[in-house]
Amino acid sequence: MAPPVIVLDRVAKRFAGHTAVDALSLEVSAGLIYGLLGPNGAGKTTTIRMIMGIMEPDEGAVRLFGDETDIGAGARNHSARIGYLPEERGLYRKMRVLDVLVFLAEMKGVERRAARVKATEWLERLGLSDWRLRRIDELSKGMQQKVQFISTILHQPELVVLDEPFAGLDPVNTQVLKDTVLELRRRGVTILFSTHIMEQAEKLCDELCIIARGRRLVEGAVSDIKRTHSGHHLTIGFDGSPGRATQIFADKALVKKVDDYGQYAELELAAGADAQQILRELIGSGARLSRFELMEPSLNKIFIDLVGPEAARAEARPGA
Amino acid sequence: MRRVWAVIRREFVERLRSRWFWISAVLGPLFFGAMIFLPLLFTGPGGIKRIVVIDGTTTRFGARVADSLDRGSTFAVVARVSPRAGLMDSLAQQVGLHRLEGFLFVKDATVETGAAEYRAANVSAFRDVAELQGVLGRLAVNERLERAGVDPATVSRAQLRIRLETKKIAGAKTTGESSAESFSLAYVMAIVSFVAIAVYGVNVMSSVLEEKTTRIVEVLVSSLPAFQLMLGKVLGVGAVSIFQFMVWGLGGRLLLSQRAAIAGRLAPLDREPAVFQMPHVSAATIAIFLSYFLGGFFLYSAMFAAVGAMSSNEQEARQAQQPVMFLLMLAYLSVFALAGDPASTYSIALSLIPFTAPIAMPVRWAAGSVARSEVTASLALLVGGIAVVTWVAARIYRVGILMTGKRPSLKELGRWIRA
Repeated sequence: MAPPVIVLDRVAKRFAGHTAVDALSLEVSAGLIYGLLGPNGAGKTTTIRMIMGIMEPDEGAVRLFGDETDIGAGARNHSARIGYLPEERGLYRKMRVLDVLVFLAEMKGVERRAARVKATEWLERLGLSDWRLRRIDELSKGMQQKVQFISTILHQPELVVLDEPFAGLDPVNTQVLKDTVLELRRRGVTILFSTHIMEQAEKLCDELCIIARGRRLVEGAVSDIKRTHSGHHLTIGFDGSPGRATQIFADKALVKKVDDYGQYAELELAAGADAQQILRELIGSGARLSRFELMEPSLNKIFIDLVGPEAARAEARPGA
Repeated sequence: MRRVWAVIRREFVERLRSRWFWISAVLGPLFFGAMIFLPLLFTGPGGIKRIVVIDGTTTRFGARVADSLDRGSTFAVVARVSPRAGLMDSLAQQVGLHRLEGFLFVKDATVETGAAEYRAANVSAFRDVAELQGVLGRLAVNERLERAGVDPATVSRAQLRIRLETKKIAGAKTTGESSAESFSLAYVMAIVSFVAIAVYGVNVMSSVLEEKTTRIVEVLVSSLPAFQLMLGKVLGVGAVSIFQFMVWGLGGRLLLSQRAAIAGRLAPLDREPAVFQMPHVSAATIAIFLSYFLGGFFLYSAMFAAVGAMSSNEQEARQAQQPVMFLLMLAYLSVFALAGDPASTYSIALSLIPFTAPIAMPVRWAAGSVARSEVTASLALLVGGIAVVTWVAARIYRVGILMTGKRPSLKELGRWIRA
């Protein structure tokens, strides 16, 4: 099996007075989409900056592409193999689109002429070829975002690191980015992205790691995490009469928690309870059902359970 | 190295593409040309001043004064009148209405005591006053000699104008440079150095700031070390400044080759045009100027880069750059002291301290002669200063470019440098 593309081995980073990342270990296997999840201030950006060699860890080691000797800023040796999209984005406002792309590709070690050809291809593909000689500040924000994606992947990296890639994107560009990410994975590119938006992580990630206050809470394949955190969730839809549903839901031996909306209810089963018994009792009480489904918990639910309601409130703020 | 080269190229090409580069490329020589030729306009004809001479003398002295002034090129004596009550007031009114420049009051006492009175709209015009003093002095002496029985012909033969010719001695060799030439050369070099270091230093600063505020810097420092990025910027902007000098040099040459024609047009025909003496600039002087300019540019742009890195926006940067600007201005403001006495302890000290040497040494070099050992010592100190300052600046830069939020305190800066 191919060695992991990224290995963090008990990495720590402290800033004056506070620990941003605390003994964090994780492994990103080749060819996967890996999500780094956490509330704001969890240490995602610091972790990514250490992976990118922008910052050196105070403790621990960062190893990339199976290179055992690699720690800290050594990531720069591999920079040609990595594409990076920082969290807050911007480009040289006065430069022409094509020149920016060529310059950033040169930074990744691509030869000028080759960079020009590639950049032109990508601009055409994303519908920006008419704009290639315009200055960045003449472009709309959405176009600038596209230019930035192109700059991230122009040099055909094996690893793409995206810090909060969906933040501030319009729906069209969100789709463009999703498609691009999926296409990259098809081509065998490894993708690490950080986000605090669970829905995207859930849809896109093969594996993920949830961190909070610089520490790892859980890591693994999304399906495994869901299985282990499965709390036997049940969704019920009524078609007209709910029968004696209210009484049945109130039975603590069967139901631990309930969100009853009248025609629709979400249940968390009590430990050892059997969903089939609830089904029998409901039918017996004369309820007509349109839906009866055992659910996996959403990533959002797992996240909130793990990180705590305090962080969940913090999550509610960003307009995602 | 290829990446540093790409950074240098970007800085160079993007600056050359900007409109501002070409505006300053054109305006630069015009500006310096104006500095050279404008004084001609003011010291040249400047309009002949209409004055009235109030003649309170009982001899022919008053008439001679009026005559002599009228023959000169500065004044036109529109009338010579005898003093009477209310005359001064009515003349003052004429001056107020700009019909007259002023009036001169001479009396018998002028010959005895040298006292005369000149009232005019502008009494700080040195040339006017010098002309009046010259004419009055010469005629008063003549008058007194004649009264003492000296033949007027002897008097005029005895008169002699001193023309003091000054030549600078550089390294035991007498050069063709006069003191005025030396000073103007020193002054021009100081002004060009100061302006160029400040302008291009600030250029480095805004370039750093742009990358920081747009976060491009994160992408860049994940590809090349922060120090190399800073180096690339400084070298790129430095190359633009050298290119700018070349453009200016060519433009200036063109302008100077036409200077006789221009001066001839500005000066009155009957007088020798007061042509600005373009000093002879030796290759050694150019070498000194360029090496100190480059040294100063590297020293200051490293500091400006650090200032850009520690600021989060233009406004913060403008405030934070002030101490650096003051440091740079120190030598510039001392240019008169430096050119006036290039060998004083103060001048020598300024030309040795790395922060002031880039301006002070070329000024001393142009104004007087500087021992080779001093230049060597000063250059060595400058190179050492650049090394230390760049090291400190690079450490601030490395941390600063990733920091946002409030500007760091001095204590925090200290921590960045030690980190």
